[in-house]
Amino acid sequence: MKQHPLCSDCENLVTPLDLPVPRAVKNEWAAIETRRRFLGRSGKVLGWAALAGLFGEMGLRSNAGEAEVKAPSLERGNNLDLPNFAPKAKRAIYLFMSGGPPQMDLFDYKPNLAAQFNEDMPDSIRGNQQLTGMTAGQAHFPVAPSHWPFGQHGQNGTWVSNLLPYCARMVDDLTIIKTTNTDAINHEPAIMLMNTGNMNAGKPCLGAWLAYGLGGMNDNLPTFIVLQTRTNPKENNQPVSSRLWGSGFLSSEYAGVGLRSGADPVLYLADPAGVDRDVRRKLLDTVEEINRQTLAQVGDPETNSRIAQYEMAFRMQSSVPELIDISKEPPSTWDLYGPEAKEPGTFAYNCLLARRMAERGVRFTQIYKRGWDVHDNAVGMLPILCQETDRGAYALVTDLKRRGLLDDTLVIWAGEFGRTVYSQGGLTQDNYGRDHHPRCFTTWMAGGGVRPGITYGETDEYSYNVVKDPVHVRDFNATILHCLGIDHNRFTYKFQGLDQKLTSPVPASVVQGLLA
Amino acid sequence: MIATLKLSAAMRNLRIRTLTAQQFWILGLSVLLVLLPFSVRLDGRAHADWLQFLGRFHPSLVHLPIGMLVLLPFLELAGTARQGLREAAGFVLHLALATGFVTLVFGILLAYGSGVMGATVTLHMWGGTVLLIELLACVTVRPAWISRQSRRVYPALLGISLLTLTWTAHQGGSLTHGSDYLTRYMPSPLKEFFPTASAASDAAYLGSVYMRSIHPIFDAKCVACHGANKEQGGLRLDFYDLFIKGGEDGAVVAPRNPDRSLLLQRVTLSPTDKHFMPSEGRTPLTADDIAALRAWILAGASPTATTVPGIAATGEKADVPVQPVGDYSYLMNDIRQMQRSQGTKLVPVSATPSDGLILRTIDAASTFDDTQLARLQRFAPFIVDAELGRTAVTDDCFDTLSKFTNLRALHLEDTGITGRTMGKLSSLSQLTYLNLSGTSVTSDALAPLKGMPNLRHIYLFDTPADPATASPNSAVGSTH
Repeated sequence: MKQHPLCSDCENLVTPLDLPVPRAVKNEWAAIETRRRFLGRSGKVLGWAALAGLFGEMGLRSNAGEAEVKAPSLERGNNLDLPNFAPKAKRAIYLFMSGGPPQMDLFDYKPNLAAQFNEDMPDSIRGNQQLTGMTAGQAHFPVAPSHWPFGQHGQNGTWVSNLLPYCARMVDDLTIIKTTNTDAINHEPAIMLMNTGNMNAGKPCLGAWLAYGLGGMNDNLPTFIVLQTRTNPKENNQPVSSRLWGSGFLSSEYAGVGLRSGADPVLYLADPAGVDRDVRRKLLDTVEEINRQTLAQVGDPETNSRIAQYEMAFRMQSSVPELIDISKEPPSTWDLYGPEAKEPGTFAYNCLLARRMAERGVRFTQIYKRGWDVHDNAVGMLPILCQETDRGAYALVTDLKRRGLLDDTLVIWAGEFGRTVYSQGGLTQDNYGRDHHPRCFTTWMAGGGVRPGITYGETDEYSYNVVKDPVHVRDFNATILHCLGIDHNRFTYKFQGLDQKLTSPVPASVVQGLLA
Repeated sequence: MIATLKLSAAMRNLRIRTLTAQQFWILGLSVLLVLLPFSVRLDGRAHADWLQFLGRFHPSLVHLPIGMLVLLPFLELAGTARQGLREAAGFVLHLALATGFVTLVFGILLAYGSGVMGATVTLHMWGGTVLLIELLACVTVRPAWISRQSRRVYPALLGISLLTLTWTAHQGGSLTHGSDYLTRYMPSPLKEFFPTASAASDAAYLGSVYMRSIHPIFDAKCVACHGANKEQGGLRLDFYDLFIKGGEDGAVVAPRNPDRSLLLQRVTLSPTDKHFMPSEGRTPLTADDIAALRAWILAGASPTATTVPGIAATGEKADVPVQPVGDYSYLMNDIRQMQRSQGTKLVPVSATPSDGLILRTIDAASTFDDTQLARLQRFAPFIVDAELGRTAVTDDCFDTLSKFTNLRALHLEDTGITGRTMGKLSSLSQLTYLNLSGTSVTSDALAPLKGMPNLRHIYLFDTPADPATASPNSAVGSTH
């Protein structure tokens, strides 16, 4: 019986030379595997490792040979020399439309499609694209023109769907990107790619990178806050998990702090009855001492993160109640945001909180709104989705603008992908559904660093392929970093032997056409 | 002398026997030269590659006859004392004539082959032709000068030739380097004596986006080859009408359709592409240039429109040239100490110290008052952004703030100021942003700020000040 080479039976030890490979190869192995060669090679490896260690200590590994004078780091312990250049935006607010808003029903106006109602989209448009399991089996790909009329708005005559009457009022402040495109066609990989620059989990998200690179502006509030919008059970809500605002290989201090969407955004914020501030302080001091002992014994840097998080939580006990106390907002706030904004958990309420966070120095706020995944009954669902989000987004941009905050705040509105022009399932005279579409989707930015009042990029007549000026997710993220004063190619973190960065291994570029 | 005689004798033996015959020969050659530019009509179209290949040696070859002709008067002058040099002068003159002829032919090949045309090209060509004819005449009259039969004709002709040479060479230089090459960096007192040609443009469109943002791009990057001087490809970009007319490939812009506009296509190609513009390694258009062109074409490429979405209106885009502040590194220990004791922060704007510091008070906002602000005076020249929103500062803060000479942004929102003494800010020439939202500032208090040229963003939300009466250059309720 032939023995497996990995068998641990030492009596019949099998060497690699027993493997069924040609004799010539075996001779070669025997010739090269000498002791002299082994020692020589080991020596070289050790030499290189030592050299790499020396280089690392001398700071030669990154940004070597830069002549410019470095500003001494004041705020952070890490010496990242960020921002690389004077930024236009100090902070950012990201309105994330999870599920994939249909671009041709909101911004990407295709008037010629009305004439092609229910006609099959030409195969040449789709090419050899692999569709999702939901429509790959469809015999027909009937064109579903948008159910809603569009109107021209602003100085530029920008076309906006009648579904977004509030958004239409602020198009002169928006930088609309019609040609955002992604690599993934399903929610999880697409939403990961959008947020972390990589489809696989384990990479830090945009907010974590910013928290790591730029640090906080307010010691009493987290640098990166995530707000969830209360879900509407009628909508098709895709799961949104904390790894979207995770810190990946960066220290967990930089992960987003999620606030709950209910009336109590941080649980157990108030001290229990009988426990006053001093008792709480003493408790924390003791916990910290134990944590420091653990750190000395184990040496896990995550212990440091834990200490920092306890301290942050303690400070948030006084800062968060002030942050979420909207009772002193003037009447003009409610005129702008609408009465819905008084109700915790709504999108408008979150937008108002985002403005209050911008005022209080939160570096990055991300608001998640789920439910845009309109595979069917788009005509029924889109008015609800737009009604929930349109006014809040408009109010946020307008409020920031009138308070002078839009000059140095970047507002971003995006989903993880777009939707197909062809109907998923049956197309009727008054309803349709739309499948996922990664090749082009519409996003917008506003505020610090981007050029207001423009529409960037062109899609084909089916809103299916990019015709001009594509903006890949990586370019999109590179542009966001640029607005915040960061050169995405220089902003790296060494992990697993790679200089990791948000814009991942494939080259990305800042989209100059979007910049102010 | 002997060599010259031998040479002229040889020439006589070869082609001409009598003086009249030589004159006839010279005359014939001159007529031929005059006809040469007519025989090749420059049509603005590129021709066979080999023509251009040879033609491109023209700019280097041309320095041979130039050098010789400049040398010639010195040789002739020195020749009055040293006989050998006089003989050499005759040889140099003939050599200059021969190389000049080859250069002229190559020059015509270059113009014809590359499809270049324009006023300067024509002038340059005629200059070369006239120069050669003058040199032929020089060759004819020089023997008479040597034998002292006529003392004036040859020196006069030589002088004229040198003037022609200078003028022609200048035209050639303008073709390769652009017509403002010599005058661009001329000291301004000198400039008054040389009115520059680039002033010529469509005066009728003054004040339009075209004149403000588009024409300057053409002027800087394109007109050297696509202007009155050169008309490469039959295209001129120095006047709107000529630009709209297009070149040999037809119109270069499709109004409202940037993607189908040849102009945009050519400037956005890969720089290694054969058709990339500007060609031959000249400075490419910047991303801003391209974005402006795109926006302008998208809006209809009108010469009169005064606003185009995407292109900032007058003065708005042109951010104040940011004044670098000094290096604050030597104050680092003081800054750290201040941060520890006061709880306020001085944060670098960027990794470059000359970008300045941000004064961040948010962590100690409720206790930050005028006294604390006054203690920051020694950091004042390095602070470009003072975030004093929601602090306890009062109107007394303006005394200290007036010493923040490099301040660009001032946040005073939701503070107790009334703006009574706000006039003290008017010395801050760099100030562009002033946020007074949520204060009790009145429009009267704003009056002293009217003269501040750079103060473009004043925010008065939720104040008694009526935005309509705020300074005219403020951008109340509209940021950019």
